[in-house]
Amino acid sequence: MKRLTWFLSALLMLSMLLASCAPAATPTAAPAEPTAAPTQAPQEEPTKAPEVQPTKELSAAEIAAALPRKETLYFNGQQWGPVVCWNPYSSSCNNAMAISQGDNARVTMFETPYLYNMLDGKQYPLLADGPWSWNDAMTEITFKIKPAARWSDGTPVTAEDVAYTWYAHVKYNTSTGASNKDYIEAIEAVDPQTVVIKAKLDADGKAVNPLIVAAYVSSNYVLQKAWTQKLEERTGGDPAKFLTDPAEDVVYSGPYHKFYTDETKVVLVRDDNYWGKDPSMWGKLPAPKYLAHVIFKDNAAGTTALKAGEVDVSQQFNSNVQDLWLKDGLPISTYLPEPPYNIGASLPTAFYNLRSYGLDQVAVRKAIAIAVDYDTIVANAMTNQSATFKQVPRSLMNPTPGEQALYDREAVKSLQWEGNDIEGAKKLLDEAGIVDTDGDGWREYNGKKLQYVATCPNGWSDWQAAIEVVAAAGKKIGIDITTNYPEWSVYQTVVTNWPLPETGYDIFMMWSAGAGPTMPWGRIRNLLSSEFAETTNNWTGNWGGYKNPEVDELIKKIPTMTDQEEIKKAYTRLVEIYLTDVPSFTLMYRPQSFHTVYEGVWTNFPHQGDGTNPPVPPLNLTDGWSIAGLYNLKLVNP
Amino acid sequence: MIHTLRQVFRSGKFVTGFVIFVSLLLIVLIYPLLVPDDPLAIIGLGTFFPPGIYVNVYDSVNVSPYTLNLPDATTKRIADKLGPKERQDMKEFLLAAGIPEEEIDIEDTAKLLDLWEKNYDPNKNIEGMTLAKMRYYQRLNNSLKGLLATEGLIVALPNAQTGQLEQVKVIEQSDYANINEVPNVRVLPLGTDNFGRDVLTELVKAAGVSLQIGFVAGLIATLIGLVLGLLAGYLGGMVDDIIMFFTNLLIVIPSFVLLILISFSIGQDKRGAITIATVIGFTSWVWTARAVRAQVLSLRNRDHVNLSRLSGHSTVYIILNDILPYIMSYVVMALILQISSGILAEAGLSILGLGPRTTEVPTLGLMMNWAMIYQAHVLGKWWAYLPVLVTIALITFSMNLMNTGLDQVFNPALRE
Repeated sequence: MKRLTWFLSALLMLSMLLASCAPAATPTAAPAEPTAAPTQAPQEEPTKAPEVQPTKELSAAEIAAALPRKETLYFNGQQWGPVVCWNPYSSSCNNAMAISQGDNARVTMFETPYLYNMLDGKQYPLLADGPWSWNDAMTEITFKIKPAARWSDGTPVTAEDVAYTWYAHVKYNTSTGASNKDYIEAIEAVDPQTVVIKAKLDADGKAVNPLIVAAYVSSNYVLQKAWTQKLEERTGGDPAKFLTDPAEDVVYSGPYHKFYTDETKVVLVRDDNYWGKDPSMWGKLPAPKYLAHVIFKDNAAGTTALKAGEVDVSQQFNSNVQDLWLKDGLPISTYLPEPPYNIGASLPTAFYNLRSYGLDQVAVRKAIAIAVDYDTIVANAMTNQSATFKQVPRSLMNPTPGEQALYDREAVKSLQWEGNDIEGAKKLLDEAGIVDTDGDGWREYNGKKLQYVATCPNGWSDWQAAIEVVAAAGKKIGIDITTNYPEWSVYQTVVTNWPLPETGYDIFMMWSAGAGPTMPWGRIRNLLSSEFAETTNNWTGNWGGYKNPEVDELIKKIPTMTDQEEIKKAYTRLVEIYLTDVPSFTLMYRPQSFHTVYEGVWTNFPHQGDGTNPPVPPLNLTDGWSIAGLYNLKLVNP
Repeated sequence: MIHTLRQVFRSGKFVTGFVIFVSLLLIVLIYPLLVPDDPLAIIGLGTFFPPGIYVNVYDSVNVSPYTLNLPDATTKRIADKLGPKERQDMKEFLLAAGIPEEEIDIEDTAKLLDLWEKNYDPNKNIEGMTLAKMRYYQRLNNSLKGLLATEGLIVALPNAQTGQLEQVKVIEQSDYANINEVPNVRVLPLGTDNFGRDVLTELVKAAGVSLQIGFVAGLIATLIGLVLGLLAGYLGGMVDDIIMFFTNLLIVIPSFVLLILISFSIGQDKRGAITIATVIGFTSWVWTARAVRAQVLSLRNRDHVNLSRLSGHSTVYIILNDILPYIMSYVVMALILQISSGILAEAGLSILGLGPRTTEVPTLGLMMNWAMIYQAHVLGKWWAYLPVLVTIALITFSMNLMNTGLDQVFNPALRE
């Protein structure tokens, strides 16, 4: 009996040991040990093994389980679900803390030549040395690489790396390659420090789109040539394998890298040899040693953690955020002290499926749009975390002063609407002959009842509430609108692949582009350009299938315009068309990122009037120029 | 019949349950007559207004005031803005600003405010002070403005021609408005929800809809269970085998899982309240069927049934006249249980987001769902979810009480 107990307990310990090896396979710090442990263990005395082994192997996991609070900056609202891979070429790694390319690229682990600052619209050098410049014909961009820039393996970052990254993007048709190759001819290294980006030229010898070429330098990572070649060798030139490689061995240039991940959290750790401590860049290391992101189930769980002081930087919608300091007295604040609390940058928009019955009629589209009570959406759905349409009249621009100045507000004033205009909407429909002919309370168009489903993904609370308000507006003007909330996994496949189903997606919500170097042109193109209409795998915009040759023409011309007056005229015309045709309508203004910070541990976060120059934007201290904020952080109680 | 009813109403448990249930039912029926508002009308611009009496500020300025000289009015007014905590916080700031401690007297309001006014600078950067704290002091400073003023507030209107402000009236600090004279007063006993809807009006409507759902679901489930149970029990043989095969099959599958799957596949655009009720009904009849069958099995060989059969009565006649009356009490009890579990099932489904589509009618489950989506439980907005929970609990509790009461009357084993 005693022997049996001993045997059983030994077996139990052995199995615990084996089980404990599983997560330890991920940390890069101990690559050799996990394979050694199982073979070793049986030879040793089983009682001894569990005591010695786990302390050695689980170090990363154990540290991650109880990170030193004063060295860790906690996030929420960025990472949903576990990390899949660390491959910066892939767009399906679900690795929000490390990989996110775009207008405000996330530069924690990988770096871009320049950092975009949404507050002043400028690009500041990171890997690059000094500003970039066009040649006289505006066909080539030239910039230099900082001599101090180093990869994590100690080798210098060179112009070759920039050129080869582009080469790989095109060769393997990554999303970066696909979306830029119509505008960029080639990226070449003139010498080890000098990069030249050659724009694609049109028939007249001018750059097809200089805006996109210029945006490339702050939106896309530079990746190491040597590592990329290693990856190519490993995957044998197969694009599918190239893009799905987990890339645990990736070489990076940024200040942070992988420390630990599992289903519950992601932890990045600072690289104390980071090149950026060179005086030519930051001159020091970022303050937090660890960047940690606990993976929460939903917004409510994230808010609870924020209230408990377990989250320092919250990138999620916290409803009634002001209650956190007004009612609960917590040391929590947002970028602005008063509503809308953040700087609006994108325009969450309700798209009409223009193939739905009756929605091809401008009168129906405009009637629904002017009947919607936007004040309720702003106050109730967004809990005032959006500017109202009284403050910022609708257009294609986001509420930042820079973009608002780009169109003539007065010229389109007569087309504006502030919403909740039930009588106006009814009149519009009556005049168009769309009336209730059979007396059931609902209007008919050519004898068929107008009946729509308004939809957005389930669980996206602010959008859901907004869609409810849209449906309520329909009821008031005699158009039967009901709501439906499919799961995001279903929703995204339906919405991004034309044709939309006949029912269920008549009015649906999607986002618009936020702030970036190509804005507002890029946003307008996404919303209105026919190049995205009726396409599949469309993650860009114009999901309702709107086509207008005049709009296409303007969108094509604007990037090559240089005269400010001409540009303003073109933008004003676009806004005019948008407000006349109403192919979609903005429901609220939304910040680029929500930026709510907890000051129980760290302080000196970016906020309005914080005196930083250039100003640090409220983008969670990870995106674009906002990473400068990581160097300003201080401990509340050092 | 009268005797049975008298017996039933002698059971304390039944009567308690019955009274609760009937009062709920009466509220559901009478309240809409008193408050005829649309239960889904969005009245509040903002989320989760707390319960209370809302007096129109514009109107109360316009009613003719009464002067009341209440001794502690000023004290209360000051205490509202400047409580012990605020005084302590002000002291902390003044200390940090370099004022010696002996000069700060937090009890003397006038002196404290004077000191504050002289030393507070919103742009002053005090070492180690967080942004949250700085903003707190800015808000505090704003709320203190004019705190000690004794003169009234001036109401002014812009002149239509010149655009200059012209004094309309002065509101003295001792002016009071009688709430009965203010034309616009709205009582929101349970505040508003995340959409700015009156929670009480919505709750009453929702309770009604949920009861409807419960009744429909309960009736369908009981009816199916009763018919199948009667047929299986009385006819026996092949019919019994087939019916029991399906019943047993459904028993093994948890009915809530089945409910989730069916609701999901129907799609939200087609899920009305009655559709959901029907689905609930069609997934919860199995236990009734089995129980009825067991009862019928024991009944069908009784002498009076055999006699009836010998007299040449048809099967339907025998089932209706010789069997059904004997299990009626059981069926009524089963129905009550089915109704209450139907209400719970709807609530469960709606919390998962699989309930009836919104925008048409509120249900108890949908109210819970939205309260949770908007984090009422995290933010401490109890009025958005607690009354809903209490209502659900009251309905099911009253029905279960009635059921237990009936059981005590009809079940000989439990009779005292």
